[in-house]
Amino acid sequence: MQEEYRGARRWSRNQQAVATVVWISFLAASVATMLFFALFDPVELLATVDIEVGSQTGYAIGFFFFWVISAGCSAVTAWLVRTAPKRKKT
Amino acid sequence: MSKAAETDRPRAAALYESATKIYPREIEGRFAKLSKLATYTLLGLFYLVPWLMWDDRQAFLFDLPARKFYLLGLTLWPQDFIYLAWLLMALAFSLFFFTALGGRLWCGFACPQTVWTEAFIWMEQWTEGTRSQRMKLDKAPWSWDKLRRKGSKQLLWVTFSLWTGFTFVGYFTPIRQLGVDIANLDIGGWTLFWGLFYGFATYGNAGYMREQVCKYMCPYARFQSVMFDKDTLIISYDEKRGEPRGGRKRSVDREAEGLGDCIDCTLCVQVCPTGIDIRDGLQYECIACAVCIDACDSVMDKMNYPRGLIRYTTEHAMQGGKTRILRPRMFVYAGLLTILITALVASMATRTPVLLDVLRDRNTLYRELAGDIIENAYTVKIINQSNDTRDFVLAVQGVEGLTLDGVDNPVTVRGGDVLSMPVRARTHRDNAYGIMNITFSVSAVDDENVERVNDSRFLGPTP
Repeated sequence: MQEEYRGARRWSRNQQAVATVVWISFLAASVATMLFFALFDPVELLATVDIEVGSQTGYAIGFFFFWVISAGCSAVTAWLVRTAPKRKKT
Repeated sequence: MSKAAETDRPRAAALYESATKIYPREIEGRFAKLSKLATYTLLGLFYLVPWLMWDDRQAFLFDLPARKFYLLGLTLWPQDFIYLAWLLMALAFSLFFFTALGGRLWCGFACPQTVWTEAFIWMEQWTEGTRSQRMKLDKAPWSWDKLRRKGSKQLLWVTFSLWTGFTFVGYFTPIRQLGVDIANLDIGGWTLFWGLFYGFATYGNAGYMREQVCKYMCPYARFQSVMFDKDTLIISYDEKRGEPRGGRKRSVDREAEGLGDCIDCTLCVQVCPTGIDIRDGLQYECIACAVCIDACDSVMDKMNYPRGLIRYTTEHAMQGGKTRILRPRMFVYAGLLTILITALVASMATRTPVLLDVLRDRNTLYRELAGDIIENAYTVKIINQSNDTRDFVLAVQGVEGLTLDGVDNPVTVRGGDVLSMPVRARTHRDNAYGIMNITFSVSAVDDENVERVNDSRFLGPTP
């Protein structure tokens, strides 16, 4: 617990990657949720596939659906970028 | 002057010594005051706004289950989403404008990350003491005192976080009822979940992650530099004046010794929440909180040197030029901002508070009634977006002799309600053939400007 040496404390590259992926996909999911549910009512939408839920559950399902999708996308992208073969200097 | 600087101690070298004992937030000064003011104002607004009432409902309530947003006297529906989009764009351009003008003002004073972190640091200070006390405490083995201090810090943090989560949920669920529900231990699962979720995010971000968020996670911190130019306010160390840096006694004549104004007390580094050395030049980690200015000014005062070795300035000014405020970039941002805000205000002011939704019955093409009458069926939805009950007249036109059946004009719709009714349109067989375009219209009895139209189709037999 070296809270006071905040400036000196640096995150490892893995910590950075995880934090960035989680946070940026959270933002993306928030925007997607807002846009999507401005157009569709979750209760009506889920009723069309015979799922009966309250609106709060509907919104939550939507949000986490978007978060999982965007987090997965971010994570794969980050992983591919970080593990790409290094270009040899000629 | 900082409190620590006023304490008694041997002169000269002690200045360097005492520096290590000063913790960032003990620095007092113009910018520390400003940031305190910003924190109080912004947090105050956040925690108070959900308690405000407008007539007999919450003044600001984003009622997701009912799909309605209440903002003072205004009720917004999902169909009004465009306003939110415009508002967000206007906010983005304000951010661009102020960034180009004043640099990272947002980061240093207004960003929730900064503001909540500041509040959490206050609580840390109340319980664990000054910077050096806290450093000692962290190194010390566990004792009753350590447990008490750490425990009370956690208690404050957790309580504050829970209250934050409660307030956040209070923007989406009527907060007074929510308070009663919590007191009765009778809250919905999702309400509890989001409250804890937001509370935990606050606790983690403001208590532990702090400036790491700015450094590693914030997209704005990375791209804000594109809005910078040579006339943007930045916090900068005056290298010409400061170098060569070095410690010295206060009595020393710095010119004779060939020294610059920087006494290398490293106070500016110690107060920096992101742990950078401003003397190395502009760095993207700098969130422009300006505490290093306060720190340096207090040292300059003690040394009887002029203030401003570290100061708000611009690249142009540093190079000896003049700062231009009125430059093309500013006009572009300001122009776009003005257009957006004008459009937003104008469209909201002229908003027609009624919506009409007509859906043709898809099951049947048309029905033939006795007397050579052709009938089509529709479902009509009238949405009264105003807060008052209103009478509306529903009409249809586009085909000769077209009349409506099933409507008892005028129809009354309560404020904020949706009236859905089956309606049949009829005309004589001679007027109906093939697919014809018709137009439904709804207009308020008390105000003819409140009118909406909706296009639909009328089907008749094909000759």
